[in-house]
Amino acid sequence: MSCNDTTETTFKYSATVGIQHEEPLLFEHAHEAPESINLPGVNGDISAALSAFSRQQAANIPGLSEPETVRHFVRLSQWNHGIETGFYPLGSCTMKYNPRVNEQVVRLPGLAHIHPDQPQDTTQGVLELLYELQGWLGEISGLPHLTLQPAAGAHGELVGLMMIRAALDARGQQHRRKVLVPDSAHGTNPASAALCGMHTVELKSGADGRIDLDELKRHLDDETAALMMTNPNTAGAFESDVKEICQLVHDAGGFVYGDGANLNALVGVARPGDMGIDCLHINVHKTFSTPHGGGGPGAGPVAVNDMLAPYLPVPRIEKQGDTFALVANCETSIGPVLGTPGQIGVLLRAHAYISAFGRQHLHQIAGDAVLNANYILHRLKERYHVPFKGLCKHECLLTDEIQNKHGVKTLDIAKRLIDLGFHPMTVYFPLIVHGAMLIEPTETESRETLDAFCDAMLDIADACEAGDTEMLHEAPLKPFRRRLDETQAARNPVLVWQG
Amino acid sequence: MRFLPHTDTDRSAMLEKIGVSAMSDLFADIPAEFHLDEGSLNIADALSEAGIVRKFTRAAEKNRNATNTRYFLGGGTYNHFVPAVVDYIISRGEFLTAYTPYQPEISQGTLQALFEFQTMIARLTGMDVSNASMYEAATATAEAALMARRVTRKNRVVMAGSVNPRYRSVTANYLSRLDGEFVEVDMAGSGTTFGTDLDKLIAAIDEKTACVIVQYPDFYGSVYDLSPLRAACDAAKCLMVVAFSDVSAFALIESPGAMGADIAVGSGQPLGIPMGFGGPHLGLFTCKQKYLRQMPGRVCGLTSDADGKRGFVLTLSTREQHIRREKATSNICTNQGLMCTAAATYMTLMGDAGLATVARHSAAALQSLVSQLPDHVTAASGARFNETVLSFVDQEARDAFLAAAKAGDIFAGIPLEQIDSAAEPRHLLVATTEMVETDDINDYLAILEVTK
Ligand SMILES: Cc1ncc(COP(=O)(O)O)c(C=O)c1O
Repeated sequence: MSCNDTTETTFKYSATVGIQHEEPLLFEHAHEAPESINLPGVNGDISAALSAFSRQQAANIPGLSEPETVRHFVRLSQWNHGIETGFYPLGSCTMKYNPRVNEQVVRLPGLAHIHPDQPQDTTQGVLELLYELQGWLGEISGLPHLTLQPAAGAHGELVGLMMIRAALDARGQQHRRKVLVPDSAHGTNPASAALCGMHTVELKSGADGRIDLDELKRHLDDETAALMMTNPNTAGAFESDVKEICQLVHDAGGFVYGDGANLNALVGVARPGDMGIDCLHINVHKTFSTPHGGGGPGAGPVAVNDMLAPYLPVPRIEKQGDTFALVANCETSIGPVLGTPGQIGVLLRAHAYISAFGRQHLHQIAGDAVLNANYILHRLKERYHVPFKGLCKHECLLTDEIQNKHGVKTLDIAKRLIDLGFHPMTVYFPLIVHGAMLIEPTETESRETLDAFCDAMLDIADACEAGDTEMLHEAPLKPFRRRLDETQAARNPVLVWQG
Repeated sequence: MRFLPHTDTDRSAMLEKIGVSAMSDLFADIPAEFHLDEGSLNIADALSEAGIVRKFTRAAEKNRNATNTRYFLGGGTYNHFVPAVVDYIISRGEFLTAYTPYQPEISQGTLQALFEFQTMIARLTGMDVSNASMYEAATATAEAALMARRVTRKNRVVMAGSVNPRYRSVTANYLSRLDGEFVEVDMAGSGTTFGTDLDKLIAAIDEKTACVIVQYPDFYGSVYDLSPLRAACDAAKCLMVVAFSDVSAFALIESPGAMGADIAVGSGQPLGIPMGFGGPHLGLFTCKQKYLRQMPGRVCGLTSDADGKRGFVLTLSTREQHIRREKATSNICTNQGLMCTAAATYMTLMGDAGLATVARHSAAALQSLVSQLPDHVTAASGARFNETVLSFVDQEARDAFLAAAKAGDIFAGIPLEQIDSAAEPRHLLVATTEMVETDDINDYLAILEVTK
């Protein structure tokens, strides 16, 4: 199939609604290839030896003039919803405001235009900031030893499990390869365990959505390497038995890995390390407000206790007297896990976020995040099914059980929210309830916004009850594109333009 | 606190609605022994916005950078020119502050940019398809090895010793916990040639081999013909994986695809992304169409909406961890999305002509430098793109030169053993880009002359 004939591709006039514009693929902008933009450098000959390898066929990257390039991408940007445009209550994703000053400071030439292999006495400034961040994340997590290097949460999971495996191996326990993962866990947990050469056993959650102690005990044995635990869990509930859970795992000879995706509920209020967690990754693109960029980059520093510290990956950032150093040699280390020192620009933004709150206000992050989630829960709990009762932490979990009776599903509710001006919540995750809707408002939303969102949700509930469900199935009607055919995309994948 | 909209009045009113009396009641499910006292963490005092700017500016001023120093540093990170438009586009809140495009109706901007990115990367590398990024080149290389194992259902991985040692050690590390064999073919003799010995590599292939991984241009900048390796891979029914550290090369020299790669992975940092002390960079992952369903990471695909209008979605998600869990093709979730938009913007601004100029100026600068070297330094021989190894008589001579160059605002190269621990400490890994001007090369040569 040629991708050209699937759908309508040419637009006589670009305006759709008002002056929101259609924009062709850049490959469809018809004109001759522009000249090269004016570039610096040595306009000389390449070696004869290299010439022998010259590319025979042009890559066919069309190129646009600068004004056309800007307009092309600005128009594309206008089809996107971002946290700066509106509410983004994606559960488990912690979509909070991304301070603009953070964008400004990471662009300072002394931070943006530096090479990881230039002499270390010429990078003391960046190393000092990173070293300071390490210390702060150690304080916040209650786990004092850090690697900042993992590139995202999932990478942190892999690195953490590698350290746990190394610690077990050092004890001569090569048979401990079983990782217990609650059925509510994010998919990266079992995937990371597999990548680390371990096998997972799924723990069925208890009736309250939490880890069931009996289920845990049944599976703990002398093959257990670790329990991977998310606390608060992905249903937004705090695992109040955390101390006992950690104790059980430790008594069985295993480690407790903490998935820190939900750290926003705890920042400055309580620390995973104090509860018995041995190792925790921190998604700084969630908790510490680094922009998600339409899919990344993030960073997933891992904090560990004394037991796991010898195994931290290299290079490490250390302070030696008055100087800071990237240290690459360490016998016990699990070794290198990334080709660069890490997602430095992302980590520096996290530093700036923590700096803005400081010791005095840090707890207010968790405070307002949890307040906002409970406020939403309170406003919606009579009209939407709440699978697990009680207070929630930084996010609240609802299902579509009530709306199902009217033939309306979570997906319909999500798509209708788009018509009402909101980004939907996380849908169909966690997997332990049918038709999950996981709502995470974060601390940076005003009461006005929360109320508007709740009003929208209540309007949808009203519409269901009034039998006004047609528009819910049809939704969204207002955005620039309606529901997209995902089956077609997967059955007949077209990933590159053939035009 | 300026990022928090609530006043204490709001908070009280909300607490009252919820039916609790104090903020601390919201945390009653956390056992009391774990509650911290407010302000008890050992973290710096809160800074105003002005305070943050001052602190970061002071730190930044301690770092020498490409605005005040001439860079001849490579090894996987390159000082290419970053046009203002690229940074402007990725600073737009709609791109910057969006999540992964899970709701395609309101994410068409990110998705179309990803589709354009995938298309341009496939064209530049000469491959059929590209995914929507990996973290960076080393983990992308490791993922390529894992993918080759899945495709071939064999588990022996052979890697050339002339691949960037960081890609090698990360790949070795990833594979070390899985069944199978990892063979690094030492490029002995490369101690003098700094290149890739294909005969030796081919000799290491057997019928159990899932893939052979080479770097092209290799870690030492050497450019060579991969066709003998392609033939050997066909004979052994294994995949040829080509890693690269500066994708801009392929605007000038034959692409991995034209050389017959089954999978090509590497760094897209040179496409408009600042060095940033190592990140965030951009990992590229491309392959032949027939291996698509074993590819790791997210991909964006073409489809249509309910009205028949063209649109884009994330697709083939049944490969991914949120559906497949422990059987997923990778654990990657958050990737380098914004860096794809940066690279797409960069390539659009450049077009074929601009990309070719970048690559040609990069290579011409190296040629200019190498062709004027004084006798006491030798450059590795053979075809080199924008990187090579300079050898000095001993470490003392090299380090004296490095120090003098640094004093003259030139970072003249990376001591080879800093990345390649097996190397003798008298070599220098030197890279050039279009940011190197003729004057810089003259200064470089003059310092070489005086430190003889
Ligand atoms: C609970 C949980 N764990 C792990 C992850 C993976 O983190 P990342 O996307 O940073 O790799 C996520 C993020 O989506 C998550 O929500």
